[in-house]
Amino acid sequence: MGRPDLNRRQLLGGLGGLLVAGGFGFAALGTGADALASDADTRVRYWNLFSGGDGSNMIAMLDAFRAANPDIAVKDSTLQWGSPFYTKLAMAAAGNRAPDLGVMHLGRVTGFAPGRLLDPWDTGLLAKYGVREEDYNPTLWKRGVIDGKLYALPLDIHVQLCFYRKDVLKKAGLLGDDGRIVPVTSTDEWFDVLKEAKRATKKGLQTIGMWNADQNFQWWFFVAFYTQLGGTWFNATDTEVTFDTDKAVQVLRFLRRHVTEGYSSPGFGGLASAEQFINGSPFVWEGNWSVPVYSGAKLDYGATPLPPVFGRQATHAESHSFVLPHQSERGGATNEAAHQLAAYVVQHAQQWAAGGHIPAYTPTLSTTAYKKLDPQSEYVSAMDHQATEPKVWFAGSTGILAQRVGPIVVSSTMGSAKPETAAGRMKKALTQLLATKNPMDGKTAAEGGAA
Amino acid sequence: MTTKAWTPSQILLTLLGTAVSIVFLAPFAWGLFTSLKSETEAVEVPAHWLPEDWTGQAWKALFESGNITNWFVNSLVVSVCVTSVVLLVSALAGYGFARTEFRGKGVLMGLVMAGLMISPAVLGVPLFTTVQQMGMVDTYWGMILPQCAPAAMVYILYKFFQGIPRELEEAAFIDGAGRWRVFFTIVLPLSRPSLAAVGIFTFIASWNNFLWPYMVTNNPDLMTMPNGIATVMNSYGIQWAQLMAGGLMAGLPLIIVFVFFQRQIVAGVAHTGLAGQ
Amino acid sequence: MATSAHTIAAPARATTAAGSATLRRKQGFQHGGWFVAPFLLLFALFVIWPLLRGVYLSFTDANITGEGASFVGLDNYREALDDPLVWDSLGHSAYFTLLVVPCITVLAFLLAMLAHHIERAKWLWRLCFFAPFLLPSTVAANLWQWLFNPGTGMINHVFGTETPWLTDKSYAMLAIVITTLWWTVGFSFLLYLAALQGIPGHLYEAARLDGANAWHRMVHITLPMLRNITGLVIALQVLASLQVFDQAVVMMDFLPGPEGSTRTFVQYTLEEGFTSYRVGYASAISVIFFVIIAAVALARMWLLRNREESAR
Repeated sequence: MGRPDLNRRQLLGGLGGLLVAGGFGFAALGTGADALASDADTRVRYWNLFSGGDGSNMIAMLDAFRAANPDIAVKDSTLQWGSPFYTKLAMAAAGNRAPDLGVMHLGRVTGFAPGRLLDPWDTGLLAKYGVREEDYNPTLWKRGVIDGKLYALPLDIHVQLCFYRKDVLKKAGLLGDDGRIVPVTSTDEWFDVLKEAKRATKKGLQTIGMWNADQNFQWWFFVAFYTQLGGTWFNATDTEVTFDTDKAVQVLRFLRRHVTEGYSSPGFGGLASAEQFINGSPFVWEGNWSVPVYSGAKLDYGATPLPPVFGRQATHAESHSFVLPHQSERGGATNEAAHQLAAYVVQHAQQWAAGGHIPAYTPTLSTTAYKKLDPQSEYVSAMDHQATEPKVWFAGSTGILAQRVGPIVVSSTMGSAKPETAAGRMKKALTQLLATKNPMDGKTAAEGGAA
Repeated sequence: MTTKAWTPSQILLTLLGTAVSIVFLAPFAWGLFTSLKSETEAVEVPAHWLPEDWTGQAWKALFESGNITNWFVNSLVVSVCVTSVVLLVSALAGYGFARTEFRGKGVLMGLVMAGLMISPAVLGVPLFTTVQQMGMVDTYWGMILPQCAPAAMVYILYKFFQGIPRELEEAAFIDGAGRWRVFFTIVLPLSRPSLAAVGIFTFIASWNNFLWPYMVTNNPDLMTMPNGIATVMNSYGIQWAQLMAGGLMAGLPLIIVFVFFQRQIVAGVAHTGLAGQ
Repeated sequence: MATSAHTIAAPARATTAAGSATLRRKQGFQHGGWFVAPFLLLFALFVIWPLLRGVYLSFTDANITGEGASFVGLDNYREALDDPLVWDSLGHSAYFTLLVVPCITVLAFLLAMLAHHIERAKWLWRLCFFAPFLLPSTVAANLWQWLFNPGTGMINHVFGTETPWLTDKSYAMLAIVITTLWWTVGFSFLLYLAALQGIPGHLYEAARLDGANAWHRMVHITLPMLRNITGLVIALQVLASLQVFDQAVVMMDFLPGPEGSTRTFVQYTLEEGFTSYRVGYASAISVIFFVIIAAVALARMWLLRNREESAR
């Protein structure tokens, strides 16, 4: 390349100067390109963690809200699900740059420093927009109440399901007369089902996707089956670990057996579990949020709660809820609009139910429109057999508990640790966590660290 | 172009070079082709290189969601500001350390050298709390300013200024020129190649920086390209075609610039790297 | 500092006309504090202060809200020494470094030799080998996550394997290492290429006249001439690799990998600080990490100095 001639250099210099000036001008404004474009009176910034089918349903509900309330601009942002979301939400609240409205898993609320990182709901305002305590299952509502104040407004209950492909199971003779999977009540029956299903499965596909390598899913499945066995975590005062390693070993062996007997392949232990199901793999264990994904792919499928292989129904359940991330100057029209938006979405959860979730707002449950949804009607009973994590500050979706114990479950399922060893490690981790102080208030779970 | 002989060893080397280049370029091609498939075709088993149905839907969806243009602007703002501040500040400091005398210079120079070992990766958490105290979380300045104190760049320019013969400046002083005038009219023009090197390197580093913007920005409106692509999924799940399209959007500008300014960039990177010797 | 004493002594002699010129000349180089002030201000605010603050926080139980921290003495450090995850994650970062550094050094050297010796289209080879370095880390990571993806990924398809790259703990770190090689080798490659081009041609001419063959020329000229640059490449890579974070978290979807096998040290400090909200504890392990990095950097300086002295 030769020496640029003078004109070209001047041009480049001029462009560069403009760029620099523009850059600093922008930085000085400091609002981001998007904020410049908004002209509505009230602007609600709303962060959520909904991707996949949930994402499109949430957007549809927001669009309906926008159409009904043109004076309120809703700026919704979807962040990557899991710990990055909670990290970002906590950091924004700590840095006093929190959005006006956020979404959290109910189990995480106790550990998320209500009063410091979260502001309480104004129940009067909620009632004004039509949401009252009477419209909720009392237990569910109370999970969001801390120190007498409501910090989380539940939106749904979501559960882990066993998805099955009717086309494959039919070939294997595993469908009943009602077109649903034959009931399974023991581990032996379950593995017989898998054996039959495997024969009917296309080459190159695994029989069941169970997220072997995913510490969150494996932990949820563990919670479900451990609860089926009647296992417990801590005593009532959260002073002692009551974790039963024998029961844990039973569960871990059960999970591991899927891999050793070749039904679940370690290579498809992540997102590929779902991709395999779409490609024709007969089973996948997954959250109900995959309903729209599989319906969208036009699969012939059904979904039941995780099979009661240990004799008793129980499947892992969590809830999405709306929260008000802490803002030092919360109030005014924006705050009211945040209440209005949350109340609207909670009441218009029919759309949300299409995403597979069981609505928390009970009037929705009794509508005929809800009862017609399939396969939702097949697993709605799951809400009566919820297996949940213990109610301590370190629990909740992708919380510290899942982060510490999840990888141990994975190590057993993937075969790098014996179930006995893994169960021992789990107990040790639980003991450690119980003695750990909540960094937010310096108290252990027993001292009321759950607030 | 002069013609060169195709000796057997040249043929062999060129073939080898071609093979290695294909390996290096294959991931780009895979990303590009994926971005031109439909989302369902992208996850089809078995995998195949070329789309059966060429479609621009991923690119269209990418621009319709709007985030990507925001992020592009943010990246540009941050990188331009960082580069210009770094250039100004480190040129001044490099000159100050190389040519002028002031009390405590030795100690300060030692401090700067120690600063070479500190990065947001090492001290991210305390750096975040500092920026949090200043109320700069989720602001452009919060992203920009902590990237503006690179000890390494000061050191590189310091080395360079030491190498400029003093006589030029001395002559100007004798003619009565002020210190600042000498710096801006004599020293800086002489150091254009080094400044270009530092500028190019800083721009690349800042454009591609993930860790610090990841820590300090939570608001998706303010995110830069690398951060946005990694942490904000669009509302429809991991969609590989879109993800690849977004990645190419983030990566291609620098690569295109590289094609045109190859010599300067190579010199810049080599120069900044070699200065560590 | 000889110049300094000299300049300070200068004004005393400044009486003659020639002296006044000298004075003006010398004054030009004095009181340079203003030149360094802007940098020092930024440096103090965003490097020194966070360092001091980190040390202070490491003795407290501060949380992410920045309120209600109390002094806990050495508790955090005591806990860190007992915390298996500190050692695990340190081990993972070290393992990554041990794999990446030799591979990158050898690969960069070979690529540079290749690009240096091919006579045609030199720009093309440079472009191909260097282009990945221009990608943001997250984009490189996404590309390879997609290449390694089981079932739909190209790597298993091309090699006809079913390796669980991202989901098995014996492969996950390897996948990150391969990604890193592809992504960053271009930088070291350029350094080697620049160094190769800097070797005076007459050395080879002379050797050729002495009848040395290509192998001898490489062993007796090229390699010794590249000794300094190799030291530099290794040092830069070691420091960068110990701080690995981006590729690992993005390829593992922000999780610590199968069974926690790719949790790097940086990742662990951020987990403790921003996911568990334990800023005090995170600061303590950051300080430990800083000491390790500083020790590596100082060790290198010490090695360099020793070598220079023995060379004399």
